[in-house]
Amino acid sequence: MEHTKSQTARIIIYIILALFMIYSIFPFGWTILNSIKLPKDATGSIPKIPGQFEATGQNYSSLWLNVSEADAAQVGFVLLILLVLLALLGLFAGRLPWPNSYTYTGIVLSVVGIVLVLPSMVDTAEFYDYLINSVIVTIGTLAVSLSIGALAGYGLARYRYLISVIILVLALAFRALPSISFVLPFFYLGQISGLYDTHILLIFCLVATNQPFTIWMLRSFFMEIPREIEEAAMMDGAGRLRAFLLVIVPIVWPGIITTGLFTLLLAYNDFLLARILMQTNWTLPVGIAQFTGGEDPGHVTLAAAASVSVTLPIICVIIFFQKYLIRGLASGAVKG
Amino acid sequence: MKRNTFFGFVTPSLIVMVGLMVLPLLASLVLGLHRITIRNLRAPAWIGLQNYEDVLSDPRFWDSLEFTLIFIAVTVPIRMLLGLAFALLLDQIVKWRGFFIAGSLMPFVLTPVVGTLIFRDLFDIGGPLSYVLNELFNFRMIWNTVNVRVLIIIHSLWVSTPFAMIVFFAGLQTLPKERLEAARVDGASWLKQLRHIAIPHLYSLFVFVALISTMDSYRVLDSVLVLTRQNPQIDARTVMYYSFLTAVEFRRWGKANAMSIITVVGIFIVLIPFLIMTYRDQLQED
Repeated sequence: MEHTKSQTARIIIYIILALFMIYSIFPFGWTILNSIKLPKDATGSIPKIPGQFEATGQNYSSLWLNVSEADAAQVGFVLLILLVLLALLGLFAGRLPWPNSYTYTGIVLSVVGIVLVLPSMVDTAEFYDYLINSVIVTIGTLAVSLSIGALAGYGLARYRYLISVIILVLALAFRALPSISFVLPFFYLGQISGLYDTHILLIFCLVATNQPFTIWMLRSFFMEIPREIEEAAMMDGAGRLRAFLLVIVPIVWPGIITTGLFTLLLAYNDFLLARILMQTNWTLPVGIAQFTGGEDPGHVTLAAAASVSVTLPIICVIIFFQKYLIRGLASGAVKG
Repeated sequence: MKRNTFFGFVTPSLIVMVGLMVLPLLASLVLGLHRITIRNLRAPAWIGLQNYEDVLSDPRFWDSLEFTLIFIAVTVPIRMLLGLAFALLLDQIVKWRGFFIAGSLMPFVLTPVVGTLIFRDLFDIGGPLSYVLNELFNFRMIWNTVNVRVLIIIHSLWVSTPFAMIVFFAGLQTLPKERLEAARVDGASWLKQLRHIAIPHLYSLFVFVALISTMDSYRVLDSVLVLTRQNPQIDARTVMYYSFLTAVEFRRWGKANAMSIITVVGIFIVLIPFLIMTYRDQLQED
């Protein structure tokens, strides 16, 4: 709509939006501060700002590692350098002679590699196991959900008869239900079948609860592609599946990344399913929930360090893929 | 596309959805008719509708339903108004738009448990907001039912306003340019343009966001868990949280299943008009 011509109004708008920004970001900033405080600095009745307390890395090292503080500092330093190098690689992805997505995939894979290799080199604490479980569950969910979702989304975009509409509407109905309605029987069946407390059960439950959203969203991306494109490929002798994999998927790739981002957030952030279906193999959100009860003052700084640690991977992913996320939100394809 | 090819493409997804959503729901229906404890897991005792009677005569269930409905009634309209207001402000500026959008997404992408923990620390002893409230308004933050309920509501707005804002902002970018131009030539004020062009144009988005945010408000669980500190004295339970407690803490799986079936039926009743609407939309598209 029309922009205001008044200079004062514009300044006021910027001020309001800046306040909104502070309101969105400040809580996390405060947590970063808490995460480098000693418990006694975080629980006094007067909040302490930088300069009033001595910074410490103790919370992070005791959260992640079972080694002495000096060793932990070294490990942290090496990891920091590796991550900065990878981040630089990401920033200059546009200058490299291959597509950006290859670089990003490479970075993600290296980070996953580092995470998986580290425990064999240093003595890691329990929280580290939660991270590994989270990585396994998130990647497993992404892989299964996107591959079967893309097939179904494509089928539903191209086969336009009553049966497709019925599947879509039913999927929407199931999307509206809270996941607790599916997970209660699963706890029961998992106990009976022995799949309780396994990654595979959690992954498939996450895939299932995500599937309605995934097929709706992917379908909307497939529908933007004209039929002529795969018809041309099929004229050249490719089968439907070949045409789909070699011609359609590369075109719709940005849409798959967008959908993948939402899936990733849902899988990584899930608390309820993991809490109910896992006894020992906790994921990060479940691990963090142990800091939520009680009044133990040491928990405040430890919980802050845990919060920052859990959030950093998401922030990295969002920084790289921000435009896909916003596009997905904006497309209104987020039907449920 | 041929019918068989279509089923080839859709089957893997259908198997997962039927196997892991439809069947569990049916299982839930059956389990809800049994008494299940940790001892008789393999041989649950059939007790008919006893669980449903238990749920419906449980005052804590009705309390949780009441709070859930209050929660929805308060958060959904405020969230939409705030979302629209910020979208309109964002629409007024050009510089720094991307920055504002990206920053506002912060609470939205945070892991819910983490986000709530962060939010809670602000109001806890040593937190900046509890300090400010105490110094400026002489208000001491006590973790009682009323305060926790208010916090759960504020937290929910903090998390989900950006979603509404971004959807509405995207909608504002698709307004018909010619009509806006015509209105401007006719000297219609900004408010008039908003009332007669923008709001009617965004109508379907309002319905969409209202529906999504009602569903999201309904399923809120993590924030209740963190903000009540699992303290049974604080009565700020939502239906979701109470089902979770019944299953995980009280280990009354039969009753929890019955509660979940009641929830599902309730949601379907609310949802039916939207489903019919979607069904018609989709048929027309072909």
